[in-house]
Amino acid sequence: MTSGARPVLAANVCVSRLQPRTGEVQRPNRADCEEIRRQIGQSFLAGAGAPVTIERLRQLADRCVDQAVQHSSFEHETESKDFAVISLGGFGRGELFPYSDLDLLFLFKDKRAEQKLQAVVAQASRVLWDLGFKVSTTARTMDECKRVDHENVEFHLAMLDRRLLTGDRAVFQQLEDRLLPRVEKLSRAFLHGELRKLTEQRLAKFGNTIFHLEPNVKEAPGGLRDFHASAWLRYLSSDGSELLGAEAAEHRTALVAAEFVSEVRCFLHYANGRNDNILTYELQVAAAERSLGLVDGQTVTAADWMRLYYRNARTLQRQLQRCLSLKSSAGQNLWQKLRTSVRPEKSQSTSGKPFVIRNAQLEILDCTALWDRAAIMSILTEVAQTGVMLSRQAERELAYILSHTELRQNAGELGWRELQEIFAGDYPGAALRPMHKMGLLTELLPEFGTIDALVIRDFYHRYTVDEHSLRAIEYLQTLANPGDARDLPFALLWKTVEGRDLLVLAILLHDVGKGMEVDHHVTGSLAALETVADRLRLSEEERAEVHFLIEHHLEMSDTMRRRDIFDAATIQAFTDSVGTRERLQRLCLLTYADIHAVNPEALTPWRAEMLWRLYLAATNHLTRSMDSDRLHASEEDSLLERLRNVPRCDGPMEIERFLEGFPKRYLRVHSTTEITNHFSLYRQLKDQPVQMEISSTPHAFTLTLLTADRPGLFATVAGVLAGWRMNIVKAEAFANSAGIILDTFHFTDPSRTFEMNPGEIDRFQDELESVLCRNRSLQPELSGYENHHLVSAPKVTCETSIRFDNESSDRCTLLEVVTQDRQGLLYRMSSALAALTCNIEVALIDTEGQKAIDVFYLTMGAAKLTEDQGSLVREALETALV
Amino acid sequence: MKKIEAIIQPSRFESLKEALREIGVEGITVTEVRGHGRQKGHTEVYRGREYSVDLLPKVKLELVLPEAQAAKVIETILQTTKTGKIGDGKIFIYTLDDAIRIRNGERGEGAL
Repeated sequence: MTSGARPVLAANVCVSRLQPRTGEVQRPNRADCEEIRRQIGQSFLAGAGAPVTIERLRQLADRCVDQAVQHSSFEHETESKDFAVISLGGFGRGELFPYSDLDLLFLFKDKRAEQKLQAVVAQASRVLWDLGFKVSTTARTMDECKRVDHENVEFHLAMLDRRLLTGDRAVFQQLEDRLLPRVEKLSRAFLHGELRKLTEQRLAKFGNTIFHLEPNVKEAPGGLRDFHASAWLRYLSSDGSELLGAEAAEHRTALVAAEFVSEVRCFLHYANGRNDNILTYELQVAAAERSLGLVDGQTVTAADWMRLYYRNARTLQRQLQRCLSLKSSAGQNLWQKLRTSVRPEKSQSTSGKPFVIRNAQLEILDCTALWDRAAIMSILTEVAQTGVMLSRQAERELAYILSHTELRQNAGELGWRELQEIFAGDYPGAALRPMHKMGLLTELLPEFGTIDALVIRDFYHRYTVDEHSLRAIEYLQTLANPGDARDLPFALLWKTVEGRDLLVLAILLHDVGKGMEVDHHVTGSLAALETVADRLRLSEEERAEVHFLIEHHLEMSDTMRRRDIFDAATIQAFTDSVGTRERLQRLCLLTYADIHAVNPEALTPWRAEMLWRLYLAATNHLTRSMDSDRLHASEEDSLLERLRNVPRCDGPMEIERFLEGFPKRYLRVHSTTEITNHFSLYRQLKDQPVQMEISSTPHAFTLTLLTADRPGLFATVAGVLAGWRMNIVKAEAFANSAGIILDTFHFTDPSRTFEMNPGEIDRFQDELESVLCRNRSLQPELSGYENHHLVSAPKVTCETSIRFDNESSDRCTLLEVVTQDRQGLLYRMSSALAALTCNIEVALIDTEGQKAIDVFYLTMGAAKLTEDQGSLVREALETALV
Repeated sequence: MKKIEAIIQPSRFESLKEALREIGVEGITVTEVRGHGRQKGHTEVYRGREYSVDLLPKVKLELVLPEAQAAKVIETILQTTKTGKIGDGKIFIYTLDDAIRIRNGERGEGAL
């Protein structure tokens, strides 16, 4: 088949040569017709394939239409002249499924012929109905076919598959040779555009996925309509040249897939006794039992048979996607063609990389670079971080390389760090979907292969398990641009959540147990995590975090459904299980995505609100209970055991002294390695009263400080950081029962001072130490900052809110300040508090874009703040924040 | 015939559904609703933003039953959903004139 050929099958070339009838034509007999239909049906059920069945049904219908028209003409004493009966759509292609409609066009030479032959048409239609055909007729004169009716594009698309059945061949030839070539030439671009629009609407109606648990084998993505739409799109966009190379191979594969799906559709029609194209659970079992579409009559389970179905559907879907990316050049006039060829396409340079971004799609420039697996991962990382889509060319090149193992290099050297880059991007789903399609995801995470196209038979999930997991990730990435009020609160979480890479890994693995023979899928998913974690060499903390998310992925939805989320005891029990706000954020997002990806209606605004309320209550509980929720070292046996291995440790008493009285959050947010490290610093306090350490991550630095508590300490550290133009994005201040503080400041270095001059880190530490130990004035550090912070105007403004809570803690007043973030903000606030002799018992400093959210547990004279003291603090803060 | 409309805590719905099934109730209509009675709600603050919880999430069940079955169903709802706290919900009971099965026009209790 040439790409420019009209997409009518070979049947079109053998249109019967009509002979004028002279004698009486018998009305076709319904019983005969039924008997033939019955024989065709039996033959199909006995093993005759869909092509034979469809062809025999077409022959029967062709014959009946011919006889019905001839009989009616005879009855009305007219000749089969000045009109033609043309089959359209599927019937026009020569494909007639057992219970499909007959789409017929009665084409008249002119108005006079139409009026004269109206009775013939009506009677012929009645005869066909009586024979058991569902007839859908359209009548047009030749004049009415001269232009495209913009209100009825479907008719013109159906006309692309036209075939003369009976009547006056001269009328048909006039349409075929003179009229339509001109009309189609003029309206080709319009029809192409409309077809694209209709196709995209159809795909969207089915959620743009082939992975429906009960798919519609005709209309849904991956159904037969995709195959036909591909043919129409190719016809409307091509110049008539032959398909070559990869495209020709793709088309041959698609023909095989279309034959498989046709087999299924025939089966559905016979099984249902009507034109019903839904492949229900029951019929999936029946199809598997019949080994439908399988060679050599292999026996497979329904789930395995469905995997075969999805593979074929995926082939049709890919072909359609490629055809949708074709542009219609046929409808362009000379000027348009010249402009297109001269005007450079909008492209974005990515110098030094093997790809280019052109018209918001990523295209491969150097295919040989893809032999190196690191280059492939860099392309996918680009997709995950920018959201740019892979072009069809890029997908094809990548698929080619990935399917030729002899072309690979460095395949074994890639692991978690490369995947992390993709998972932590703003658009992880944009990379993961093509990775899954090309088999790369299951290559890197073979455990994910257990749920590839896996159908779970319930009436709640609409998609296969792999599709559900990918959709969950895609729903999260769409939170970057939330569609409605339901999603807004979760959008904030997605933007600020830490450990996004771990969250995405947890989503990919949370249901893989469904593909294993285990009692509960979570058990299987956790076992899969162990093999993944070993292979990718996840750290203990990373493994523990993903383990938690998988193990508890149903906990929030269970709590919503089965517990009173407005009951304090429910919230207490839930937060005890979760532990930290950071983990709660990840679990909340996982729950949101998991419910959302079940089916499009699952996350009702009501449910989203319930989830948000639970999150809200839990996060507030975690923040407000921090002061009262203190560590008792003697109860932490396992941690004590691990810390005992620290060199030169003086025994358990020393460890217990260090841990006693820290907020429990301390244990939850720090790994054993970090705690061990803190303990080592603690032991050195005897020799040096201020212990500090600076570590760096790709985007920030962390300062850890241990020393004896003293007035204004937190403000002093914040001041030194501000003086060095560092931007504090997160901080925590904890103290143990012995009055040793452990402060952690996470800060960015906008001027890149530390990055460009590593020696400055030592100088910074020296300065901080001299300010803290020798009471050196902060003024020299702050001299430039006071002016500097005024110059950078905020891009987004945030109103200041100051709230006091004297109820949540037994001994502290909780102060929450939400305000515009700016350099030196923490210093200003903490110095204002220090000036009023407020003691910061615990501090939790956080930022969300340009908004600072700071929580302080305050005491004055070892007691909560009185109302008057609160007013003073408010006034001082309002002044400091001006 | 009686129509029973029960507004209950969402957390009690699963167990109530099970309890109704055990006493032979075959058809219920369930709606996710929001509202308040005497339990007026409150305000939560998250990151400087106020979230008012004035309309609380509830589940509404509607059942139509032969009169003889109504008392048992009401008793079951009470037993299963009562916690004794404010916000447990309400049960409304109506007397019905008739019921019609649309498929075949059958009327009265036979249509239930």
